[in-house]
Amino acid sequence: MLSCSENLDSSGVCAVLCPPIGGDVQNITIDAVVVDTTVPSLSGLGTEPGLLLASRGDSLDTRVVIRFDSLPATFIPVGDTARPIASVDSAYIQLRLDTTTIKGADPVTIEAYDVDTTANDTSIAAVLALFRPDRFISSQTFARAELTDTLKYFISNAAVLARIQSRAPLRVGLRAVSVGSSQMRFISTEGAFGPVMFFRATPDTTTKPLTVVPFSKTPVGESILAANLTDYTVIAKAPPPAAPSVLSVGGLPARRVYILFNIPSNIIDSATIIRATLLLNQLPNTGLDATDTVALLPQVVLAGRAVTDPAKAAQIIGAISVDTLKLKPGDSGPTNVELARAFTLWHTQKPDTLPRAIILKSVSEGNSPLELRFSSSEDIAALRPRLRISFTSKVPLGLP
Amino acid sequence: MRKSFFAAIGLVTLSFASRGGAQGALSLQGLGYPAGGLSARAEGTGGGVADFDALSATTPAALAGVGSPALFVQYSPEFRRVTTASGTATTTTARFPLIIGVLPMGQSWTLGLSSSTFLDRSSETTLDRLQVVGAPTDTVTVTEQNKVLGAIDDFRLALAWSASPGFRIGVGGHAFAGSNRITLTQLFPDSAKFISSAQAGRISYAGFAASLGIEYHPSRVIGFAISGRKGGDLRAQSGDTAIGKARLPDHYSGSVTFEGIPGVIVSARAAHDNWNSLSSLSSSGVQAFDSWDIGAGVEATGPRIMQRIITVRAGARFRTLPFGLNGEKVSERTFAAGFGAPLTRERASLDVAIQRAARSAGSDVKERGFILSIGLRVSP
Repeated sequence: MLSCSENLDSSGVCAVLCPPIGGDVQNITIDAVVVDTTVPSLSGLGTEPGLLLASRGDSLDTRVVIRFDSLPATFIPVGDTARPIASVDSAYIQLRLDTTTIKGADPVTIEAYDVDTTANDTSIAAVLALFRPDRFISSQTFARAELTDTLKYFISNAAVLARIQSRAPLRVGLRAVSVGSSQMRFISTEGAFGPVMFFRATPDTTTKPLTVVPFSKTPVGESILAANLTDYTVIAKAPPPAAPSVLSVGGLPARRVYILFNIPSNIIDSATIIRATLLLNQLPNTGLDATDTVALLPQVVLAGRAVTDPAKAAQIIGAISVDTLKLKPGDSGPTNVELARAFTLWHTQKPDTLPRAIILKSVSEGNSPLELRFSSSEDIAALRPRLRISFTSKVPLGLP
Repeated sequence: MRKSFFAAIGLVTLSFASRGGAQGALSLQGLGYPAGGLSARAEGTGGGVADFDALSATTPAALAGVGSPALFVQYSPEFRRVTTASGTATTTTARFPLIIGVLPMGQSWTLGLSSSTFLDRSSETTLDRLQVVGAPTDTVTVTEQNKVLGAIDDFRLALAWSASPGFRIGVGGHAFAGSNRITLTQLFPDSAKFISSAQAGRISYAGFAASLGIEYHPSRVIGFAISGRKGGDLRAQSGDTAIGKARLPDHYSGSVTFEGIPGVIVSARAAHDNWNSLSSLSSSGVQAFDSWDIGAGVEATGPRIMQRIITVRAGARFRTLPFGLNGEKVSERTFAAGFGAPLTRERASLDVAIQRAARSAGSDVKERGFILSIGLRVSP
């Protein structure tokens, strides 16, 4: 039978014959914020996918440390057996540069220092103290046009040979020096294309150069931290943080905003959420790169009620959206952050299990000095964060 | 930094939405379209011969005239076109509106079991509408898809008695059962901002009725039939929750047949249904109207094709449908034609009818439908 496949769709006449069925949409705006605060991003030193090297006068100064704790002691010439390394030639560190992050048009000199120390591995002060003349290894100046996506930074052959022969680690600290402002970001080991060192152990060019990848032997017994510290960014100077009464996202050291809501349970449990928007008031940050763009990403906090410290809860998070909100630090005024997907998750979990909390973070967290600022709930009522929820009640489907 | 308990509700925007049926056709208002329980033969005569037809489910008395055990199945797709000032919709609804089994028991008694479609609500619509979601200026287009599948069916167990060809009487017990599965989907354009929703519901129906029919042929030329069905309660239930209750409509009909012309049967029928008793089974005030169903037709011996005598039929029918549109009755005018042919040495027969139905409700909405009915009777 030809007509066995039904076609019931009468959409063509719906303008006249199909009254709307769906429920009434209610849009409510509520002061649902219970806690809002700025917390540090505790992802840890060296976990960033990028290495920020910056010299921006009084505003920003960041250095890069790369650890080569395991250097080869021997090499194999072509057609021969293994021999101890007695010379080093053409030693360089290959750096992958994100050219979109380059700031400054002036030539930049990158200085290398020996930053090997027995001090605590995570001591920033101890490392910064080693950027001094007696620790100087080498330097290389790059014109702006020479800053391409793959950079060969030549390092002192003698310094490399000395570490090989003394069986000591080679820990290189990089600092940018420029007459003007200079900033760039290299891809780190965590970013999959980290630094690699090459050198020749013999003048014979038929023998391939030796390759050394970053490696950190310390701290002993903490392999994850040691892996993070194979390369990392050290902040020597950063823009001042926002006032405590202001919510701050991004910056250096990286910060997040933690917000805990108290949402009427009848809305989450009984209604069908269509849209939920966090209404924020952005405050202008006229510091560094005020017109650059920051990608803001809301994420839902997965920490249960047992985690009472917002700083810790803000580290246990889950993605709710891949879409980011693009904002400029220098802008100001109302800003909407869409949170509907968080409500989808909250609908399945009780507040005792999953507190109604989110964080706001920068996509380039830890890799960029850009910082967004927002009014907190300590501001005047009109500027405080609020929640706007659009929902429908369930429609009693059934009788016509 | 912390802040207070929520409190102030800043803005509440309501947009009215009805829960009325979005069936998208005149004939599908309310609880749906009444298929009628007529066989393809009866449909071909405008319903005139229905109360004398053992293979129609309109009266139990007619079962006594079946002669031999029979199983009858009918398929009736409807090709419908609805026209409004803003557009048209062309749909195809496949129905199996009638299945009957008839079993003579001795010389006088006949048992019949049937299932016929009482009200078919199957429909599907898609409606785009503007909706404020968020700030008062945030207007988005919501695509609302509504699909309803299912029907209420009439299951009848009937017993007929006849001591002579001139008089037949039958009684029937009816169980009305069925369900409507409803799916409502609301789609929003930007999944990053909005959450589309889907909601499903199922409503089931159960009710009982009893029927009585009498058929009297004072001579070989003329015959009369009357029948009636008394409705009991019809309950609507969603899950374990009763959501409505109404009386099944009482039904009365009277028919006459004239066979004074050799090879020709002229018949007419008038029936009345108290559909208004179903009005309470509505959550949006869809009005049900009592209706008359009047039809007449002719059945005549036609040409002989391949050693088989073909019966040809024609008829017309007028009725109003149970559920109105905007308070107006929906009327249906039908012209029908068809034929019947014996198959395999009289052990099977095929009946085909085509009906052209025009429906209107006093507005500029027009509905036209072709209903092709194919019935196959098999006598084991």
